[in-house]
Amino acid sequence: MNIKIIDSLLKEYLITKATAKIIAEKLSLCSVSVEKIEKIAEDLVYNLEITSNRPDLMSALGIAKEAAAILPRFRIQASFHPLANKRPNEKGIPELQIEIKNDSKLVNRVCAALMEVKIGQSPKKIKDRLEAMGIRSLNNLIDITNYVMRETGHPCHVFDADRLGKTIIIRESRKGEKIKTLDGKVHILPGGDIVADNGKGEIIDLLGIMGTENSVVTDKTKKILFFIDNNNPHKIRKTSMSLGIRSEAAIINEKGLDPELAMEALFRGIELYQKLAKGKLLAKIKDIYPNKPKPKTIKVEKAKINKVIGIEVSLKESAEILKSLGFNVIEKNNFLEVDVPTSRINDVELPEDIIEEIARIYGYFKLPSILPPLNEIESFHMDKNEFYWEERVKNTLKNWGFTEAYTNSMISEEILEGPSEDAIRLKNPLNEDLVYLRRTLIPSLLNVVRENKNKEQLKIFEIANIYEKRLEDLPRERRLIAGIIKKPNVSFFEAKGIVEQLLNDCNIKKIVFRTSEYGGIASSIYIQNDYLGEIELLDANIVDFEFNFEKIIKRANLNKIYKPLAKYPPIIEDLAIIADENVKTADIVEEIYIQSNLVREVSLLNQYRDTRTFHIIYRDEEGNLTAEEVKKIREKIITSLEGKFHAKLKK
Amino acid sequence: MEDQLLGIKNAAMSLILDSKDQKELEEVMLQFLGRSGQLTLALKELPKLPIEKRAEVGTLANDVKKTVEEAIDRKRAELSHQKVEEKKAKIDITNPGILPPLGHLHLITQAIAEISEIFAQIGFTRVRYPEVEWDWYAFEALNFPDNHPARDDWETFFIKTEPNPKKGPMILTPHTSSGQIREMERKQKPPIRMLNIAKCYRRQSDVSHTPMFHQFEGLVVDEGISITHLKGTLDYFAKSYFGENRRTRIRPYQFQFTEPSFEVDVTCGVCNGKARLPSLRSGVSGQGCRLCKEGWLEMGGAGMVHPNVLKAGGIDPEKYTGFAFGWGVERVLMMKEGIEIDDLRLLYSNKIDFLEQF
Repeated sequence: MNIKIIDSLLKEYLITKATAKIIAEKLSLCSVSVEKIEKIAEDLVYNLEITSNRPDLMSALGIAKEAAAILPRFRIQASFHPLANKRPNEKGIPELQIEIKNDSKLVNRVCAALMEVKIGQSPKKIKDRLEAMGIRSLNNLIDITNYVMRETGHPCHVFDADRLGKTIIIRESRKGEKIKTLDGKVHILPGGDIVADNGKGEIIDLLGIMGTENSVVTDKTKKILFFIDNNNPHKIRKTSMSLGIRSEAAIINEKGLDPELAMEALFRGIELYQKLAKGKLLAKIKDIYPNKPKPKTIKVEKAKINKVIGIEVSLKESAEILKSLGFNVIEKNNFLEVDVPTSRINDVELPEDIIEEIARIYGYFKLPSILPPLNEIESFHMDKNEFYWEERVKNTLKNWGFTEAYTNSMISEEILEGPSEDAIRLKNPLNEDLVYLRRTLIPSLLNVVRENKNKEQLKIFEIANIYEKRLEDLPRERRLIAGIIKKPNVSFFEAKGIVEQLLNDCNIKKIVFRTSEYGGIASSIYIQNDYLGEIELLDANIVDFEFNFEKIIKRANLNKIYKPLAKYPPIIEDLAIIADENVKTADIVEEIYIQSNLVREVSLLNQYRDTRTFHIIYRDEEGNLTAEEVKKIREKIITSLEGKFHAKLKK
Repeated sequence: MEDQLLGIKNAAMSLILDSKDQKELEEVMLQFLGRSGQLTLALKELPKLPIEKRAEVGTLANDVKKTVEEAIDRKRAELSHQKVEEKKAKIDITNPGILPPLGHLHLITQAIAEISEIFAQIGFTRVRYPEVEWDWYAFEALNFPDNHPARDDWETFFIKTEPNPKKGPMILTPHTSSGQIREMERKQKPPIRMLNIAKCYRRQSDVSHTPMFHQFEGLVVDEGISITHLKGTLDYFAKSYFGENRRTRIRPYQFQFTEPSFEVDVTCGVCNGKARLPSLRSGVSGQGCRLCKEGWLEMGGAGMVHPNVLKAGGIDPEKYTGFAFGWGVERVLMMKEGIEIDDLRLLYSNKIDFLEQF
């Protein structure tokens, strides 16, 4: 998360002559990122990005402590000046009369102080500082809670003590319980949220996230219960996300805070109430602390430190770095024994975590830059490499005038084809356009055509996965290629030509086109008997194709076969054949081929109604063909076509 | 016979000379050299001559034929040259050329091709792993705690199906890091040097996020791999992809599956890492750079592979170490100079006018 801290507040706890710019630069290199420094009034504001493992740095105190460890590494004098507040004098003050019943599964520690106060405006300095740090100033009672949060890093709450009952019961909410938060919004709780109950079943606080309207301070408040709760972070995250209340308290609390910090924050708050709101402690401070952090010691070997960092850092220097960050360290012969401070207990667990602390303060920028040695490598086979073929096919289509689209794998129910129960469905879709995983690319490409309807001509394609549901397993992800040609009176054969020529380029033979079982002007594509996909003329202006790209990759090859160039010239002739239009050209071609092995090539030259002209190349590899030989084959062709298709030679 | 041949020669030569175009020349050729051309027919008479004359007349006949053929060839070349000259005089060469068709590859494809090529140079093997994944590969094996925010419904897409008893819920992979464990399983033993580029999915959509996006993930595992090797690889990539004068730096960051973790920055290409633009007037400092943060641009995350991740992938973390990085293809693409798209969603809007710009 991002947090704003002002330079003047930081410098109350960090004694240094370093400028904000230098502090920012060094912090960025070795600790948290300072994204920018803004000038507001007379102050400078650090905009810090704090990673979620470092909630201890979400405060002026935390940053001061960190900077005091880092700056001296750059030969810049700096020292940490901790909070001086001490436990207030409680002599002769009665016990707190409000009974607080905690649930240790929900809250680690509760610190509370009952005070008499005088509500009013905060002094200008406090107001300005809060505003500069992105917090709106309301009144001294509320401002102090926010100020303490920025100083110490622990969120705080303040109740109007006169609006509370005799007990505060901390419990989980029941599903459907209603609350009105202090911003006036009504929320229905999902259940399992950490709430405070006034003993009468009424919720008086949504702990760690936001106060409720029925218990917060008003301009008539005379007595407060200053209340600091250190909560179970996961519960806070769940409630905050599901209710959409992303208060700063919630965002900090969901990271998990050091409960030791809670009492420090309470003392600081009491001090500020005394100073700024004529505060007077009315009861002894309450401290309910069931979940104390367990001390942790980690052993780190010297060899390991050097192995991970890649250069030698002495144990002495490592120990010094760790001590400057608040770790207790015992230096042994070839390892360190490191005690983790409570503020880092959730974050630091392994030797690697300790090495990170050493390395970052030592300075990543000081490490050399070396390419990893290449000792062994997998062999590379271009003709079996899917990425090679994918790039080649994409480039081929590009060079034929196609533009590549990237459409979403997630689609709406509207464009889902086939029964929806066979499709992979998302449990938590982002919106109704992204509900299912697609099983064909064509509807997505048709969307692209629709969204570009001002284009009269369009050639687009995509290579992407589709997702086929499988029982108790991940879906089968299959790579498909699909394309669309849009132009007035487009021909089916334009798409067919693309498919044929793409397969030719991949050196795939034996492509067969059969009438599609889906009907329409369409064809199914096969390689021998292996089904590949479909070509379909959708309407007068749109033709599309889609086929299995994995099968292409499997069969595509770079095999090179050399055939000696022909020594003898061919004889070429065109035969015009009259045959019923229902007779398939492919069948006629096949029939011509099988008449003689001297027939080398047969192709359809043109067709006009029932007359098809075939271009035939005859050639003998062994010698010169004579007109006599060709005549014999021609006659055989005509006889067989007559016999098989009742076809005739056009005279 | 000799006279006849010489007569044919003279007639042919004068007709060839007078031909005004290719067509006339072809006609002349047919008239003399065609199947029933004058010269052809004359040559057929040769065998009828008495033996003693045959050789002499034969030589003459061949000379005549050769002379006529050569004259035709010369004239043909002359005519064709003349044609080009005529054309040259007529055409307006500023008229548009006849263009072969040329389409456009998507920006992402172009970026992926470049990234793959850069890493192929230093021995990274490109792989592809499932987009629909088990929680195990995407989170559990990558050392994410149960209640990590990335594992909840607000950030990751879940598939409506029963979870696997061992591998947990089925999700759309939110990062290419799930490929780390898959690659460790495939290779079984280091060395590993993987480049995984794939579609990823996260539940967010705004000017800088699309619910579907692309990442590229590098993973190197071997004996003796350290932070210095990660730095070497990052520098190599940044210089190759962004330009020779770019520098990188690594800063502390946090990820579950790496320890230590880094954020990787590259010097800004607009202000050249200076955070200020050069001023038009000398002696005056220029405007602050609006693109970068203090001269640096964030490229993405990286780190040393967490020992728990190596363990989950069946690799002994005491023996081997590794580094990994995972960056957005869209992000590095946008960072390249000259391409500033104010709304990332435009990349996947499939507006033809946009796609045809690249």
